[in-house]
Amino acid sequence: MRYPACSCAVALVFAGAPAAAQDPAASPAPASVPVATPAPAPTQTTAPSTPISVPVSSIPLPSIPGDTGRFEFGSYGRVQVASDGRGGTGRPANVVAYGNRIDEDSYAELELRREDQFAPNVTSKVVTTLGFFPPFFHFSGDATQAIAIRNLYAQGTYGDLTMWVGSRMYRGDDIYLLDWWPLDNQNTVGGGAGYVIRSGADETTVQAHAGMQRLDSTYQYEQVPAPVPPVLAAQAGPAAVNTTVLDRPRTIETLKITHLFRHENPAQKDGFKIVLYGEAHEISAGVYSDTSLNPPQQTALPADTGWLVGTELAYWTGHRDTFVQLYLRHAEGIAAYDPLAVPLTFANDHTTAGSTEDLVALGGNYEAGMFGMLIGGYLRAFRDGDVSPTTSQKYDEGILAVRPQIYLGERFGVAVEGAFESRRYAVLDPQTDQPLTASEWRFGVIPYFSPSGRGSYKRPQLRVIYNLTARNSATRELYPAQDVFSQRNTEHYLGFGVEWWFNSSSYP
Amino acid sequence: MRIATITRSLACLLAVGVAAAPESGCVSVPGDGQRPALATHVKDWRDEVIYQLIVDRFADGDLNNDFNVASGNLGKYQGGDWRGIVDHLDYLQALGITTLWISPVVQNVDSDADIDGYHGYWQQDLTQVNAHFGDLATLRAMVAAVHDRGMKVVLDIVCNHMGQVFFYDINRNGRPDDYVNGSGAPGDPVVQISEYDPPWAPGGVQSYSQEGASGRAPILFLDDPGINRIPPQPAVLANAAAYHGMGHIEDFNDVSQRTLGDFTGGLKDLATERADVRAALIDAFANWVEQVDLDGYRIDTIKHVESDFWPVFAGATRRRLAAEGKTNFLMFGEAFDGNDALIGSYTAPGSLDSVFYFSQHFTAFSNVFENAHDRATAQGTAQIQALWEQRAINYGSTPQPGGIGVPPAKALVNFIDNHDVPRFLFASGGDKAALHNALSLLYTEDGIPNLYYGTEQDFSGGNDPANREVLWTTGFPTDGATFTHIAKLARIRKAYTALRRGDTKVVWSTADVASEDDAGIFAFERAGGDAGPSPYALIVQNTSAFKASFTSHAGAALQTSQPGGAKLVDVLDPQQMSYAVDGGGKLDVSVAAQATLILVPESQVLSGI
Repeated sequence: MRYPACSCAVALVFAGAPAAAQDPAASPAPASVPVATPAPAPTQTTAPSTPISVPVSSIPLPSIPGDTGRFEFGSYGRVQVASDGRGGTGRPANVVAYGNRIDEDSYAELELRREDQFAPNVTSKVVTTLGFFPPFFHFSGDATQAIAIRNLYAQGTYGDLTMWVGSRMYRGDDIYLLDWWPLDNQNTVGGGAGYVIRSGADETTVQAHAGMQRLDSTYQYEQVPAPVPPVLAAQAGPAAVNTTVLDRPRTIETLKITHLFRHENPAQKDGFKIVLYGEAHEISAGVYSDTSLNPPQQTALPADTGWLVGTELAYWTGHRDTFVQLYLRHAEGIAAYDPLAVPLTFANDHTTAGSTEDLVALGGNYEAGMFGMLIGGYLRAFRDGDVSPTTSQKYDEGILAVRPQIYLGERFGVAVEGAFESRRYAVLDPQTDQPLTASEWRFGVIPYFSPSGRGSYKRPQLRVIYNLTARNSATRELYPAQDVFSQRNTEHYLGFGVEWWFNSSSYP
Repeated sequence: MRIATITRSLACLLAVGVAAAPESGCVSVPGDGQRPALATHVKDWRDEVIYQLIVDRFADGDLNNDFNVASGNLGKYQGGDWRGIVDHLDYLQALGITTLWISPVVQNVDSDADIDGYHGYWQQDLTQVNAHFGDLATLRAMVAAVHDRGMKVVLDIVCNHMGQVFFYDINRNGRPDDYVNGSGAPGDPVVQISEYDPPWAPGGVQSYSQEGASGRAPILFLDDPGINRIPPQPAVLANAAAYHGMGHIEDFNDVSQRTLGDFTGGLKDLATERADVRAALIDAFANWVEQVDLDGYRIDTIKHVESDFWPVFAGATRRRLAAEGKTNFLMFGEAFDGNDALIGSYTAPGSLDSVFYFSQHFTAFSNVFENAHDRATAQGTAQIQALWEQRAINYGSTPQPGGIGVPPAKALVNFIDNHDVPRFLFASGGDKAALHNALSLLYTEDGIPNLYYGTEQDFSGGNDPANREVLWTTGFPTDGATFTHIAKLARIRKAYTALRRGDTKVVWSTADVASEDDAGIFAFERAGGDAGPSPYALIVQNTSAFKASFTSHAGAALQTSQPGGAKLVDVLDPQQMSYAVDGGGKLDVSVAAQATLILVPESQVLSGI
């Protein structure tokens, strides 16, 4: 039994759409500054000084005399348009789940936020974030716009204790070049709490969260038409009412412990962070009924579980967003699958038993003088629970991407980006009779204008983008014969791009 | 805390973490999933017991390829796969099976008119596997696992037709139409016109318009990827000229229609007389042998292909495989026909090694054994003898050059029933004694026994698709009476060379089915020939369902070739009863209704069978 593919991005990590695994909510980590000094004024529109995030509870809301609250507007966005150099539209060409983002699709978030301070140590905020997915009207001529509620929650802080309830993106640090949160990236409806323990300049934050998801997939949810109850038939007549017969949300609990090591002397701005992270996933049993068949065919869906553990180690210099991050993660069972996706394959007991994911990831940025360099990469091994040793859902993959750049004055620059990525599937390559290994080299040039100043994380950034992707034969085999991606060794991507972010609360 | 110290400590922690990561290595394709070296796995095909299985119905080993499964709806996919075969090789070996005949492996039109191509005969792409059953690596692994047990695999192939991959654009509107025409008035009958599957037209399917006849109807390939109804592969088959385009057969006795017409269900008849089509078919199927290390072909619908195709196909296949180390490659064809001479014609010199012995299915298993339960329909065994006597006339008497080394007449593939006819227990009204008796004949007669899956579990389905039941719902028990009977017959056949290699001499048959002493008796000796001078077996069957009968009648008794006084032991009987021939070599015994004696000389009886 297979289930209709979820429309979400991670579900597309599969042959035919090998490159579209990134979270559409791509953004950098415009997090707050991990220092004990007061946070920037809310009107700040520039990027933070470092992409290493810290718990939101450590950011005191500035008090404004005579005013206990205000509305805030924030946004993340990127818009890109490109030609493929052959008269077509430039399109993403990655073969790994989290490829480099130079040719990724457009996406934007608009955030409206109410913030209040009711006492010196009591604050709240109510956050609404809309996500907008391409194509946009001026490209497609279609006024219908795909919009998602990415945040809809309220958060309250009482001293060092913070609680929230609602629908929320709840995530840690990302690797900018890959548009990816390697350790934690929850998108649930639920609630959570965090508590900060301070020890000198050091700080430990404990965050817990529990949330649910019930994707609109027959793996989790099904409604069937049923006759109106007899007692109501007199008023309704013969009629059908949609009745939920499959309802098995995935419940996810997370626990995150973050410790910041900082110098007592504020003049020493470098610091270190260690994160220990874990998830537990549960999904109850249910029965899916295929009512397109007569008699309806019923498939038992057993209860399933999964767990995940991981860690992040990060070091930052405190100068010009220079930092490095290292991630390790291991997941088993249903936790090996992105919560916004449903498993494609199963063990023969119809659970995800035997599914695992292991990854090591690296991210970082270095800036000095007129030079800067972003780096991102990872190695990831995914195994499904299928009894078959040969399946496209067993694979190893990895990427190394670097983006060195030269700042031309304070507001202009030229970045070049190089990447190598590869995914090796446990399926036969008919050309070689060996495991299918899709690989590609990518090289890009990005001249840009950065009105807010010099730096890898300064935004907005207005770009001209050119990227060349050289693809091997196995990569081409992943696409239908009618797709030009199955026919071409190289792909060009020449166009414009812009990216901005400011005053967003999506990145705790 | 000093950050440098922390950094060092965590670096050590990272190293330990990486080393301890549970991932055990890079993904790979197991060795048995890679291309095998070709080898010859068969010495003498008469030593084999073939088990015909429909992959979709045998065992479901991997639910992840259960695409569009509709459990219980036998016209649709049920979920069986090659992995399931691997999982149940113990079961097959316990049954005594040595060769698996698997349904076609190539990609099919997935569904047509709400019926699925689960059986594999709606081929669309001869170069790709049917994903419902697994991938190429899984197919290889299955064959390797079978070979590891000393068993073999025969692949079902089709040269006559492809699936319903095109339509005839009769009204030239560029789309497939299915409509009713005519007013019903005298001279204007109501007829259903289907551009998918129009009836036979002597000059080829014609197009017409309001203005009248408009010449041959264009053949337009369909393009519906959702059900894999897309232009066929290899590319030469995606050409209208590769098909006869005559519409479907309406008269199966008309040779032109039979060989040029589309097969039942709108299956498009290939222009197999074309050199490019022949080359494509030879190459496509030989490639599967090379990719997987198969041991033989069962070839579908051979009588619907012009007869001169087969020597070309068989010869080219043998030469190609022999050059790669594969010999004794069995090719047996299916001609669904009771005409023994017609069936036998496909074993002419240079042609096929063997055929599915359909005339015996009708004459022996259907006429005699299936009808035995009803006095009104019971028929005598003399017709079996008459049929067998035609073997030497109708079938090849010398091995095919480069073939299996056994003359076709001695390598016929015997079967009781199959996927195209009602199961024995359906046709016989559930007569299990008759089934057991028929099985006894199947396992003791000359040729290669072929067992249709599910027979061992007393399946009793009627015509297609009811005769294509799901096996795994039985739980694969091995203690049923029919299973144990078959297993014992297989052991006996394996143990006694005479039953596999001996020549056949019918020593008693009768037209009697009523109260006569010998009503229902059929007896034949297996001895000599390739078995050598000593091995001997005498099979005595009583096909009557109503009485014990004798091997004598009207003063005559069964004359054996055994010396006077010889003792013969019934090795099928758990008590191993023995019978003595008289001084003249005659044997007069009583055989219970619907029972079989497998008699071998006392000196040749083996223990532990």
